[in-house]
Amino acid sequence: MTSRYFGAPILRLEDVRLLTGRARFVDDVDLPGMLHVAFLRSDEAHGRLNRVDPSAARARRGVVAVYTAADLGDYWRPGPLLVPPPPIPGMVFNPATQVPLARDKVRHAGEPLAMVVAESRYLAEDALDDIVVDLEPLPAVTGLEAALRPGVPLVHEQFGTNLAAWVRQTKGDYASARARAHAVVARRFHYDRGAAAALENRGVVAQWDARAEELTIWDTTQAPIPIRNGMAELLGLRESQVRVIAPFIGGGFGPKIMMFYPEEVLVPWAAMRLGRPVKWIEDRRENFFATTQERSQIHDAELAVAKDGKILGVKDRFLHDTGAYDPYGLTVPLNSQCTLLGPYVVPHYDSEFTAVFTNQPIVTPVRGAGRQHGVFVMERLLDFAARELGLDRVEIRRRNYIQPDQFPYDNQILFQDFRPLVYDSGDYPAALEKAVALIGYHRFVSEEQPAARKEGRHLGVGVVSYIEGTGVGPYEGARVTVEPSGTVRLATGVGTQGQGHFTTLAQVVADQLGVSVEQVQVSTGDTREFGWGTGTFASRGAVVAGSACHAAATRVREKVLDLASRLLELSPEELVLAGGRVHRRGAPESGVSLGELARKANPLRGAVTPGTEPGLEATAYFGPDRGNAANGVHAMVVEVDPETAAVKIRRYVVVHDCGTVINPLVVEAQIQGGVAHGIGNAFYERLCFDDSGQLLNASFMDYLLPTALDVPTVELDHVVSPSPLNPLGTKGVGEAGAIPTGAAFAQAVEDALGQEVEITEMPMSPCRLFELLERGGSGRP
Amino acid sequence: MIVEGTYPLPGKPEAVWDLLMDPDVLAKAMPGTRTLTRTGPDRYEGTMAVGIGPITAAEFDLVITLTDVMRPESYTMLIDSKGRFGFARGAARVVLVAGGDGTALEYRADLQVGGKIAGLGQRLLDSVSRMMIRQGLEALQRELAARLG
Repeated sequence: MTSRYFGAPILRLEDVRLLTGRARFVDDVDLPGMLHVAFLRSDEAHGRLNRVDPSAARARRGVVAVYTAADLGDYWRPGPLLVPPPPIPGMVFNPATQVPLARDKVRHAGEPLAMVVAESRYLAEDALDDIVVDLEPLPAVTGLEAALRPGVPLVHEQFGTNLAAWVRQTKGDYASARARAHAVVARRFHYDRGAAAALENRGVVAQWDARAEELTIWDTTQAPIPIRNGMAELLGLRESQVRVIAPFIGGGFGPKIMMFYPEEVLVPWAAMRLGRPVKWIEDRRENFFATTQERSQIHDAELAVAKDGKILGVKDRFLHDTGAYDPYGLTVPLNSQCTLLGPYVVPHYDSEFTAVFTNQPIVTPVRGAGRQHGVFVMERLLDFAARELGLDRVEIRRRNYIQPDQFPYDNQILFQDFRPLVYDSGDYPAALEKAVALIGYHRFVSEEQPAARKEGRHLGVGVVSYIEGTGVGPYEGARVTVEPSGTVRLATGVGTQGQGHFTTLAQVVADQLGVSVEQVQVSTGDTREFGWGTGTFASRGAVVAGSACHAAATRVREKVLDLASRLLELSPEELVLAGGRVHRRGAPESGVSLGELARKANPLRGAVTPGTEPGLEATAYFGPDRGNAANGVHAMVVEVDPETAAVKIRRYVVVHDCGTVINPLVVEAQIQGGVAHGIGNAFYERLCFDDSGQLLNASFMDYLLPTALDVPTVELDHVVSPSPLNPLGTKGVGEAGAIPTGAAFAQAVEDALGQEVEITEMPMSPCRLFELLERGGSGRP
Repeated sequence: MIVEGTYPLPGKPEAVWDLLMDPDVLAKAMPGTRTLTRTGPDRYEGTMAVGIGPITAAEFDLVITLTDVMRPESYTMLIDSKGRFGFARGAARVVLVAGGDGTALEYRADLQVGGKIAGLGQRLLDSVSRMMIRQGLEALQRELAARLG
């Protein structure tokens, strides 16, 4: 393989379209005769729905239809269970999936009660006021611990409990490890809720073409193909009659992999019923309730260590809030459970979680998808253990790393892809040493920090490590076609939400076919272009779709060389494929162009023998045996003002290992963006619910996101441990930046304050840190 | 949300009591009230409009029911208001304590607020409700002074 583009830091090809406003987003779809939708949503978090009377709304001028649950007939049914639980012995799972419109009961604030379709969004919104609702409030369940107390209100009566799931996974014998321990460090950790806060909210436009009998859906989904398949089934259509287009999307971050949202199911149905295109665009306030969220967990965890700091075992019991429904199964708490182990040798592990239903919006993966919770618990426990043993923070990590010669390393528990949690490759000590050198850890601790303290400044450093399970199956596919124009067309099923697929996937293909990346036209997320695949999630695009693109391009390369060899009467070994041409080795001016070959590959009369396949085209698929393990070390320097609890992040270092890098610029941008997300999670973002399930900060006036001023430019370095699980050697990187940020932040802030506070909760907002300082009564002048 | 306090009013508890039971006076004591009618012995219905932060003139349908009525000492107002911007409901306990020439009005309201006013107006809810109560009590005081005067 000539490697011209693979690994090269080329600028993103899609940015010209994005930056000049020529990219199409769902809200750009504007069709003649299009109707607009507004949803009436429940103000109550929990309530008995006695009656919804839409008659006055229906009578309003400009309103075309108003639908309640009663109007849906057979179409009213709970959504599918998207991720069934993995086969873990003894597991309990109570499935309850979201419904298109509330029928008898409302289970979280913002749940839709009725859908208005009108000539404009303004009219639709106005008509919401005309709908008369008799909703009898019920006491709400909001706290994780409160949800399981006897006598509490039930979110789903049929289960007789608010328990959504219970899972225990163990490795070795923790009790015996604990008995041998020199010290046991035990703490309680809280992690609160957050929003994904993508720049673009959700949206759906649907158009039914009655003459062609075809339904087209433009959808901000991260999974266009499963949406096509599911919508065809729901609407009684053939899959080939439904085309789902996930165009450019302004950020996914997980909630858009949640599928069959009420709006997603209802808009196409209404378009077919009314015979007119129908559009719904989520507004930001709706997004705070109607789009899935992440995060709330409480861990009671302990770490048993030997005198030298070696980990003997970890025990963890945690509660996970799944919200009002659990359509995404156990993915998030399983990620927490598995990711806690990190890059460390943990001989004995006993982890048990209980997921509970609450009267709060649904929880599904958001960037990191529960991994940050596990990392936070483990890294904090190591910090506390180091303190207790009088060990350096970096040293305790160094002593516990899985060594480069220990791969594949089997953790003996199941991961969220239902496969054993086996790490494929890595060099954890190398990543740590690079990060320690880059941040200048030893000089900082011995010189800079004490010097600053003499000046009255409180500086602190945090160094943490993590594993990110990425690139899970089941599979993705790609089709590569050389067109007579010489353009190479690449179609894949994964959608794109800003990750740079138009560039990285083109890089994979361009090298195989000896063309420039600009000559590779990429199509993503359009089921008519490519109809097999699962979606964009779990940091898997470059790994799974990338490998499929590579396989398809390799096959086309063979076809190209085969045809050229016959045409030029040279053996394939004598041929070179470069510059968009095939030529004889050493004679670049000879030979034939790819376009010409494509024309020749579409044979005319008399040129065909039985078995001839036309075209320079191939389709290929890739499904990894299991997910692979990316890893990294984050280090940051903060300055804390103990009087105001203001924290400034002075430096942020990431040493990351995502295997082979396709495009360093794309990897760096993913990490930088992930760190921004992680800083938000660590210091700013918290969805505040009151006891009645009301969200108290449902706007960006009160829900704080970090701005460019709060996010430093990340200083990056890489370690490259190619994954043996795919032909490219790649691992995922999409979530890496967001995962260990909270743990690094907590350690650095504690360090800055001379360990006068102990941080065991996330987010650690400025106000909360101030409270902790007040309570500690120290660290303040 | 809990709002509580004590406010001195002129006149004996009986006089204050009669005033508090008059829907026209009650309407004045609740700033933003547009209509209020007695629809039963201990029941009032009406509409009010309140502005909180980014939400201006949010209209609510209001139902007030009185319970535990101990003339002229104390009663509890059950408040149930709903509108397109959300809801507020709860109970307000009112106790009249005679003292000197006047009456001390002790109040303690436990209100649950939901919907847009909760999500968008949270930061201001506390101060707006305090302001409304102060304005209401001042109005009540003026009314009493006028009647007694």
